[in-house]
Amino acid sequence: MTTTSSPATRQAVRPPARPSRISATSPRRRSAAVAAYLVLALVALAFLLPFGWLFLASVSDKATLGTAIPDHPTLRNFSEVLTGDNLHALINSLVLSLGSALLTLVLAAPAAYPLSRYSRRFGRPILLGLLFATGLPITAILVPVYGLFVQLDLLDSIPATTLFLTATGLPMAIWLMKNFMDEVPISLEEAAWVDGASAFRALLRIVLPLMLPGVTVVFTFTFALTWGNFFVPFILLVDPAKQPASVAIYQYFGLHGTASYGLLAAFSILYSMPVVVLYTLVQRVLGNAFALSGAVKG
Amino acid sequence: MVAVGLPDARARRSRATRGRRAAARVLPIIPAFALIALFFLGPILWCLYASFTDVALTGATASTPHLIGLRNYRRMFEDPAFRQSLWLTVAFVLGSAVIGQNVGGMALALLMKSRSRIARAVVGAIVVGAWVMPELVAGFVWYAFLSDDGTLNAILHGVGLHGKSWLYAMPLLSVTLANIWRGTAFSMLVYSAALSNVPDDLLEAAAVDGASAFARLRHITLPLMRRAVMTNLMTITLQTLAVFTLIFVMTGGGPGTKTQTLPIYMYQSAFKFYQLGYGAALAIVLLAVGGVFSIVYLRMMREEV
Amino acid sequence: MRRQLALVMTAVTVAAAVSACGDSGSSDSKTIKVAYQKFGNFIGADELFKKIKPVFEQQNPGVKLKLIPVEADENSYYTKLGLMRRSKATAPDVAYEDTFFVNSDAQAKFLMPLDSKLSAWSDWGQFVDAAKAAGRAGDGKTYGVPMGTDTRGLWYNKKIFAKAGLPADWQPKSWNDVLTAARQIKAKVPGVIPLNVYAGKGVGEAASMQGFEMLLYGTANKLYNDQTKKWVAPSRGITDSMNFLNTIFSEKLGPTPQQALDPHWSDNVQGQELPQGKLAIDLDGSWLPQSWIPGGASAWPEWSKTLGTTPMPTQNGQAPGKVSLSGGWLLSVGANTKNPDAAWKLVQLAMNKENSLFFYTKATQVSVRGDVTSDPAYLQGNPTQKFWTDMVSVTQYRPAYAVYPQISNQLQAATESVITGQATPDKATSDLAGQIKQLAGPDKVEGAP
Repeated sequence: MTTTSSPATRQAVRPPARPSRISATSPRRRSAAVAAYLVLALVALAFLLPFGWLFLASVSDKATLGTAIPDHPTLRNFSEVLTGDNLHALINSLVLSLGSALLTLVLAAPAAYPLSRYSRRFGRPILLGLLFATGLPITAILVPVYGLFVQLDLLDSIPATTLFLTATGLPMAIWLMKNFMDEVPISLEEAAWVDGASAFRALLRIVLPLMLPGVTVVFTFTFALTWGNFFVPFILLVDPAKQPASVAIYQYFGLHGTASYGLLAAFSILYSMPVVVLYTLVQRVLGNAFALSGAVKG
Repeated sequence: MVAVGLPDARARRSRATRGRRAAARVLPIIPAFALIALFFLGPILWCLYASFTDVALTGATASTPHLIGLRNYRRMFEDPAFRQSLWLTVAFVLGSAVIGQNVGGMALALLMKSRSRIARAVVGAIVVGAWVMPELVAGFVWYAFLSDDGTLNAILHGVGLHGKSWLYAMPLLSVTLANIWRGTAFSMLVYSAALSNVPDDLLEAAAVDGASAFARLRHITLPLMRRAVMTNLMTITLQTLAVFTLIFVMTGGGPGTKTQTLPIYMYQSAFKFYQLGYGAALAIVLLAVGGVFSIVYLRMMREEV
Repeated sequence: MRRQLALVMTAVTVAAAVSACGDSGSSDSKTIKVAYQKFGNFIGADELFKKIKPVFEQQNPGVKLKLIPVEADENSYYTKLGLMRRSKATAPDVAYEDTFFVNSDAQAKFLMPLDSKLSAWSDWGQFVDAAKAAGRAGDGKTYGVPMGTDTRGLWYNKKIFAKAGLPADWQPKSWNDVLTAARQIKAKVPGVIPLNVYAGKGVGEAASMQGFEMLLYGTANKLYNDQTKKWVAPSRGITDSMNFLNTIFSEKLGPTPQQALDPHWSDNVQGQELPQGKLAIDLDGSWLPQSWIPGGASAWPEWSKTLGTTPMPTQNGQAPGKVSLSGGWLLSVGANTKNPDAAWKLVQLAMNKENSLFFYTKATQVSVRGDVTSDPAYLQGNPTQKFWTDMVSVTQYRPAYAVYPQISNQLQAATESVITGQATPDKATSDLAGQIKQLAGPDKVEGAP
């Protein structure tokens, strides 16, 4: 898109906040909007339905894998999973996920910047080579990674585990970041360079704010990926007190596979909440950021 | 723009600063790439090495593995279970990522653009809720949804239709749907972010000129989003290639081997049959599959990258 | 740029070299590390080691006991245990593992032979012979002390039996008796599954052990010939076992193939089908009450009144008349432990009479110690415990060889092809024999017509 864009689109990258009230109220627009809302409602319903079992089981005192409306709805499952150990596990998850998501941003943004702006010929093959590797399930490299952690005496260390999780997410994060960055026109930075600003300042003050939606995608992506990761903390952490929620969830299974489904469902809801909250917060911030960037550009 | 902007920007710089600039360009890459090299590339190289050995998790070859050349690979290509796994993996990726998540995410992003804030927040939260659900839980959620006395059959029954043993009758479709459910949010986020870069006034102008919504999508929005499409396809393809837990919980790779994708087959070989060497060879093939997909995407968008 | 590339390549090479080469770390002799599985409501081992930690440290001044509970399913536990053992620095001194792994772990040189220590341990005489054998590897040395076992047999619902006109004290003498009862239930009590025998890949090892092998070991053949040290396939016994499964599924005496192939079918049997009275006869394990007792995953207070137990008969009632297969756990000592004496003392302490009883009760295990079996405290609380313990006298263990998991996988696939009608019992048998030959090597397989 960079090379094909016409002068018209280049200018237009700064969306003028000119509200188009006239066409928004036209009958055709309105019926299209109604149709869109209808479709959205259907999609939301379709996405919601599979959750049915989860919610029903979480308030059932005798939950099974079958879907049934409980005779005596109860919140007992929730009160039972709200233990100190589980909250501790959730905090561990938060430390791992926030840590690796933030670290990913800190490392990926500076790495993506030169790749987007100048080192294309040199950086791209390496980046792409690394990218292929992210299609590997983590189980494929567990054995050498364990050996490596033993060698470097890093086992049972939350910071080291965070570093490893960051490393596995980085190729994808750099790649996403670089591509979002490509969408930001270079002309703005050139102006800053002329003013004597360093590339780093240009990145921080101009490029990143303009690609905030992309940054949040990378952040949420890394966060969610780490949040659900079972094998890495399971293998690299030894002390049960350091294990995150993705490992703790196994306490609701039995030796021969039988699970306490009510507790499992309640815990799952509890477990998913932080990421949903994070997403909502990010959306909020994003909304404000849009307004902000509009102001800067205008 | 880069191609246009760069030369004259460069011309303004003196030779002396150029060397410093070159260093400054490379430096910021180093921390990230060093970390990747240590924790990611190293283990992958070990995998490559292990794929030429008979190393195992237990048994005699656990402590004294031998180099066995290409035997793991030969065994793989003679194994009909492997060939089936390979095709299942490709079908799963095409169905759930390239078609399902990609098109679904684009449609959602387009539908949600310029809708009310509340609608965006609600639909967004539900779709993203499916994404952030831990894979293990997502597997149980879908198992319960599709099981014989599950929600789907209950609903079908409610409207007078006959249910089915979905996971038995159409296992690949079932896990594909589950993965679409789980992954669409990511495509939606990527496309929403990209759509926010598509200038509104261009679309407005086209609308004033009488271009239909479809024409605006085809001739303005999509061309401007080509790069985002490729980025997204690449990401979700690689993510979907690695899907393990979701399928494992829903079907365990069955019935028979009807949903035994490469990650499942690899896990079974390495950690159920303890043949780490063979598992490593499967991992290398999986890597190659990811490579093939990536190259196809890059070819399709050649002039873009 | 070139320097940059060189740097990256160097880092990669170093990382690869570092991760590939052997170990250097060492664990000290003042700490004994014990690794064990802790999984959901299965916390028997955790409770046991927490209980004996202060005792052990008091008895061995200066030595610390470090507990390493691994909270995960069985496959993940062995993955982690295998990884820990791959490097001397992290290998546990004492580990809790399935008797099944003794042979391959001994071959991998992970374990220390205990023969000299066992012969000097007076308690060893209390252990039943079958359990002693379970800790013995192919080289004839013993590598572990069993922590109890599990046995297998028939569970049946007395209420359904009453409706079908079958006796509350059911004692089938042959496979035919079992089928006859199932047919009678099908005719008289519609809406219930008459007989569940696990088959197919969905339920995994349950199909091999609770299902196929419980049949096969009731015929004249076994899966492995201990004398000739060869796998036995094809055999009359395999064909007959396949035929039995075929009868159940083609006469619709069992679950539908859809149900049987569901990966959660065994959970459903334990959590729903039996408690909800939807299943009449179940060929299953001694541990089922674990989830029915108060506090279990699916508490069912009336289970002991509703369900009866009876041994699985041999094919035609031939001696010894009943069949059981066993698994179970043992404690092993790591080959590279810095303090073998302290490690062995820990095993002795954990498996003395008092602590064995403690573990059996907590983990719903069947006793393998004569003195515990005769202790009244052992039989308290679980009305079926005596029955399952009596099965120890006839029980047999699986052929514990490294190739077994793959052969077991083929057994499951073969039963699946039978119950779905994709293969006749004869075809499934010959296919299976071919697979076993390929996996074990043609010279390691013999037929038994």
